[in-house]
Parts: sequence; structure tokens; C-alpha cells
Amino acid sequence: MKILVPIKRTYDPNSKIKLKTDGSGIDTSNIKFVINTFDEIAVEEALRKKEEFGGEVVVVSVGTQEWIEQIRTALAMGADRGILVDTGGKYIDQVGIAKILAKIVEEEKPDLVIMGKQAIDDDANQVGQLLAGYLNWPQATFAYKVEVKPNEKKVTVVREVDGGLETVECELPAIITTDLRLNQPRYASLPGIMKAKQKPVKTIKVEDLGIDLTPKVKIEKLETPPPRKAGVKVKDVDEFIAKLKELKALPF
Amino acid sequence: MNFAFQPEIEMAKETAEKIHKKFEGRRKELFEKIRRNEFVQEIWDELAKAGFLGSIVPHEYGGTGIGLLGSAVAMEELAKYGIGNALFVLTICAESCIIRNGSEQIKRKFLPAMAEGKIKCALGVTEPEAGTNTFRIKTFAEKKNGRYIINGEKTYITGADVADYILLVTRTIPYSELSKKGLPKMYGLSLFMVDLKSKGIKMHKLNTRGIEGMNQFTIFFEDVEVPEENLVGEENQGVFVMFNGLNPERILAGASAVGLSEFCLKRAVEYANQRCVFGERPIGSYQAIQHPLADVKIRQEAVRLVVYKSAWAYDNNLPPQEVMFLANSAKYLAAELLLQAVDRAIQTYGGAGFVEDNFFIILWDSARLLKTAPISNEMILNLTAEHVLGLPRSY
Ligand SMILES: Cc1cc2nc3c(=O)[nH]c(=O)nc-3n(C[C@H](O)[C@H](O)[C@H](O)COP(=O)(O)OP(=O)(O)OC[C@H]3O[C@@H](n4cnc5c(N)ncnc54)[C@H](O)[C@@H]3O)c2cc1C
Ligand SMILES: Cc1cc2nc3c(=O)[nH]c(=O)nc-3n(C[C@H](O)[C@H](O)[C@H](O)COP(=O)(O)OP(=O)(O)OC[C@H]3O[C@@H](n4cnc5c(N)ncnc54)[C@H](O)[C@@H]3O)c2cc1C
Repeated sequence: MKILVPIKRTYDPNSKIKLKTDGSGIDTSNIKFVINTFDEIAVEEALRKKEEFGGEVVVVSVGTQEWIEQIRTALAMGADRGILVDTGGKYIDQVGIAKILAKIVEEEKPDLVIMGKQAIDDDANQVGQLLAGYLNWPQATFAYKVEVKPNEKKVTVVREVDGGLETVECELPAIITTDLRLNQPRYASLPGIMKAKQKPVKTIKVEDLGIDLTPKVKIEKLETPPPRKAGVKVKDVDEFIAKLKELKALPF
Repeated sequence: MNFAFQPEIEMAKETAEKIHKKFEGRRKELFEKIRRNEFVQEIWDELAKAGFLGSIVPHEYGGTGIGLLGSAVAMEELAKYGIGNALFVLTICAESCIIRNGSEQIKRKFLPAMAEGKIKCALGVTEPEAGTNTFRIKTFAEKKNGRYIINGEKTYITGADVADYILLVTRTIPYSELSKKGLPKMYGLSLFMVDLKSKGIKMHKLNTRGIEGMNQFTIFFEDVEVPEENLVGEENQGVFVMFNGLNPERILAGASAVGLSEFCLKRAVEYANQRCVFGERPIGSYQAIQHPLADVKIRQEAVRLVVYKSAWAYDNNLPPQEVMFLANSAKYLAAELLLQAVDRAIQTYGGAGFVEDNFFIILWDSARLLKTAPISNEMILNLTAEHVLGLPRSY
């Protein structure tokens, strides 16, 4: 079974984010970069399926040369090879990313694409669904549990939905997006890290794909949320309820 | 000159961070264990699984050869969260002696299992009458019918209860006979890998403090049989085996101290930003609190560089004298740094600095130990004066 896993380079969720003074973006000096949390879960899930059924795990990133760091981390976890679609740093919106990934899928012909439900930087939650649309493939988003049946060419996915869990079945090939509780990703072991040095990473220039990438979405400005105001201390529950009533924070 | 880590070292560091995160939710429980001097097997297992015990072991013997720097950054990273691991350091130290001096046979016998974390190793140098002066040790190994028979006593041996083997420094020619035979003092030492479950070994637990999570023991050896193949390096040439092998202990101890200093600093800063004593200003706004912390930060960066440089020197096989000088410097500076960092954290915390749950008062013992062991700071000055500066030997 061949599984394609798109991964994004994002800020380490533990780092303190500061904006550039003009609000045009995030100040990336002193910031550590990692594989997007949800994508790391996707890599883990793909590796588990490979361990179960054999096959190949290919990771793909659409970004700049620095993103090879994260591709290498995925290879060190156990993925077999990597593809970087080099954008030269140009801004590409979610529609563009989905179109690029669709092209890579057409070339690689995986049985399954497993990817993060969203990236923790812009929280867009778009690319998986758009990709399924462009490819006209079935999709199962927000996966909580994934069971592949390669012989029947089917996958059963338990999804996290507002009311609880929902189970769906898709024909392969399909797109799956991961939720937080799907698994606990492994870390790269030292032997894995050394092996990753020998694994191939192919770079493709985005221009060579011949896709119209004119953005449909433009980022106007970034702002930090207003600082939290100081709270008040209350003596007991009665005073607490009274305070909530005063602030009209209770539904009754 | 390039101060950036190679990508694989950067990744190793990330892996160490992830190991720590795995334990974060259980830190109270783990600290409790460490305080009771219980060995935390799970931390060992994670380090082994991630391959950190094989970092200096070459690929053909089951390691990765990523280098000592890989383990040094791991030690530093874990120490940032208050997790030290003395047996990890000692086992890597024993590996180092085997890798740099051992026969093909002993390499095959021990390295793969050690790299996998299946063998924990203690280090047996000190004796009641020979600490700083190793040449005066009396533990004796006599060759008989293709085996060695060991008799003697070692003391202050860390982790002898949890270790599987001990890398033991013995005499194969008695000290008293050297001068009669016109041989130098450094001659006649031999090192062995000794199974701690061997017949004839007795242990006595000491009431020592200084290494979190571990106890020290006096070990008595009475006619303990060791197979000939467990001799590490050449017979009587043990001093060179130690010379090459013991540097990682100092380097990793240094790395751990740098990490622990960060543990102290981070907590002290957090506390100083919150604690108000006079009025509404936090104590962190007083120069009396903030300057000493800033001073620790500056020194920490300098010590870190020496630690990394010494690991780099070891990995790149620089001349032994140079590696020794750097490793000694790392240990010497790290001991001073950690003691200062713990002191300032305690001072910042006021009375709370003495509450065991805050861990500083426990670290105080460890920090203080580093001035005395594995090699005392006086001895480092002696060696530096003699071998690096070319001054007359003072001891
Ligand atoms: C908690 C703990 C764990 C330990 N773990 C181990 C272990 O796992 N394995 C092991 O082999 N050992 C271990 N040791 C022993 C440690 O390495 C020794 O204690 C250390 O080397 C000092 O030796 P000593 O105690 O015999 O002191 P001594 O050699 O008696 O020295 C006493 C003092 O005199 C100073 N001194 C001696 N000679 C000179 C000189 N020429 N010039 C100036 N000053 C001098 C020393 O620096 C020291 O301050 C441990 C010790 C402790 C406390
Ligand atoms: C083992 C032990 C026994 C004790 N026994 C007793 C006892 O029997 N009875 C009793 O009443 N108390 C006792 N204490 C409490 C002890 O006296 C206090 O811990 C001490 O006075 C410090 O107060 P604090 O802990 O609140 O620190 P804080 O007042 O919070 O001070 C924290 C740090 O800030 C510094 N600081 C504060 N203000 C300033 C400033 N303006 N400029 C510069 N630095 C400043 C302090 O010097 C300190 O380093 C004991 C404490 C311990 C640990």
C-alpha cells in the first residue's frame, strides 16, 4: 500500500509568537519550526499502516528549501522518501496548495492520502477537503480511528464530530484528515535519524507544474488578541453567582 | 567556524525534548521516586529506545556513531527539566573505554547490548585509600588458568545495585613492586568488565547524597572470577584506557549541569516575576534579584560552549591531551556554574527554596558533588598547570 502524507512546516506550538511591527506577518526570528502537530499524527498513522500491510510512505511539502528539515524528520520517523515542491517563498493560498497536491497525487498514484485536518498556524482546515474535491475522491475528515481493508479496497474511519463519534466507510483511494486523538506520534530515534540521511528527497519547482496559483484569499493583516483584563476575586459561590448575573453571563 | 549543529544533532535534541514531554504529566510521581533514590527504569528505557546509548557506538557494533555530542545535547535537554541520569553517563563512559581500546572480541561481546540499553554499567575506580590518586589502588587481578581472579574493595560506587556490570580498575602489578622493578607508577593497571552478579561480590550501601535517584556502595571482591576476554585494552596499560575513556564522563556531567542550571534559572525567573514582597512590584524588578540571575545566564552560555567543544573534540579524535583539557575545563566550569545557579534559585525562592518539592535543595547536593567527583576541581587545576601550562608537577 502506498500512502502519501502532505506535511507543513509550522511554528513550534510551545514557542511564543510575536507579530512583525507592521502586522504583515509573524516575526520568525527566534522561533523554532516543527512538523505541524496534525501532520505528525498523519505521518504516524501512515507508518502504522505500512507496518501492518507493507508498502511505502511518501511525504510531500509545498514550501521552501528550509522545509527539507521537516521532511527529514518525517524520514527519520520512518517515511521512505520525500518530495519538496519549491515555491521560492511565494504566497500560495489553500486552493493553490490543494491544486499542487492534486498534481502530485496524479503522479504518485497513492492508495491513500493521510494529512492533518488543519495547520496550527492559520487553522484554515481547507486543504484536505479541497484536495478530495479536485481529485473527486471520497474523504473522511477528523479521523479518530482508521482501519484499512486493502483486499476489499476499503477504509473504515471513525470521525470526531460535534455530537460524538461517527463511523464512515470509503472506497480506496481516499483522503483522510487526522484529529488530535488518533495516535501518539513516535519520535525519531537516532538510528532513524542516521538512516534518513540516505533517503531520497526530490525537489520540484512549482513553476514546472504549470498550475494557475493566483490566490483567491489574501491575508490583509494579523493582530494579536487584546490582552486579558485583570479579574476580580470573590468570597464565595453566592458572590460569584451575583457577579455573573451582574455581567449578564448566565442564561437565566 | 560554524556554531550551528548538524541537522542530525538538531534532530537528536528534538527527540530528547519529546522524551521529556512524554514524562511531563508525571513529573511529581517521578520526582518522588528520584527523591527516594529509586532508579527510574522508564527513563532509561526511553533513552535506550531512542538510541542515545548507542550514540558513540559505531554502526558495525549496533550503534549509530552519531557521536558524543548527540548524547550531550540529550543530557542537557533532559536536565533542563530536572532529569539527570548518572548510570547513562557511566555506561557511555564504559562504552568509550571499550570502543577506543577494546579487542574485537570484547567489542562484539558488549557493545551491541550496551547500545541497546540491555547492559547498565557502573564505574569502579575509587577505593577507601585511593580516590584522587588512582595509582594507589590495591584491588588486584591475578591471572590463573585463562581467567583473572579479583580481590579487593571499591567504594562510593554509584548505582552498583541497578547496574549489570562494573568497569573495574585493578592492579595487575602491585604498587609496591613497581619501584623495585624500575617501572613507572602509571604501569600495571588493568580494566575489566565484571558481572556484578558474579560469585564473591558483596555490597554495602552507603549513606551518601549527591546523585539524585542513585545510591552509592562499597563493594567487596573475594576471589571473583572474570573471563580473560573481559579485559578492556591491554594488560598493565589500563592508564591509557582510562585516559581515553573517562573524558565522556566529564563532558556528559558538564552537559547535565548546564541543563540543570537552566532548570534553576527558568524557575527562578518565573517565581521572581510573580512573587511580590514589598508593594505590588514583583521581586524580579529588583536588581538584587535580577542581576545575579543575569550573571548565571551569561556564564551558562560560556560553559555550554566549552561542553559542546569538548564533545566535538572527543568525536573528532583530537589529541588526547587536548580532549582531556577541554573535558576537564567543561567539568570544572560546569560545577561552578551549577552551584551558583542553584544558590541563586534558592535565594530567589526565599524560604520556599528549602522545600524539597521545589527540588533546588536536592540539586544543591548534586551541584556540590560536582566540585569533588568524578574528579576534584583541585586535581583539574593540578593537571592543567602541569600538562597545559608546563609548570612543575605539584602533587
Ligand atoms: C556521591 C558520590 C558518587 C561517587 N561515584 C563514584 C563512582 O561511581 N565510581 C567511583 O569510582 N568513584 C565514585 N565516587 C568517588 C569520587 O570519585 C571520589 O570521592 C573523588 O575522586 C575524590 O576521592 P576521595 O574521596 O578519595 O578524596 P581524596 O583523594 O582523599 O581527596 C580529599 C581532598 O583532597 C584534595 N586533594 C588530594 N590531592 C590533592 C593535591 N595533590 N592537590 C590539591 N588537592 C588535593 C582533593 O581534591 C579532595 O578535595 C563518588 C563519590 C561520591 C561522593
Ligand atoms: C528551614 C526554615 C526554617 C524557618 N524557620 C522559621 C521560624 O521558626 N519562624 C519564622 O517565622 N519563619 C521561619 N522561616 C521563614 C524564613 O524566615 C523566611 O523564609 C525568610 O524570612 C524569607 O521570607 P520568604 O520565604 O517569604 O521570602 P520572600 O520574602 O518571598 O523573599 C524572596 C527573595 O526576595 C528577596 N527580596 C525581597 N524583597 C527584596 C527587596 N526589596 N530587595 C531585594 N531583595 C528582596 C529576599 O531577600 C529573598 O531572596 C524558616 C524558613 C526555613 C526555610
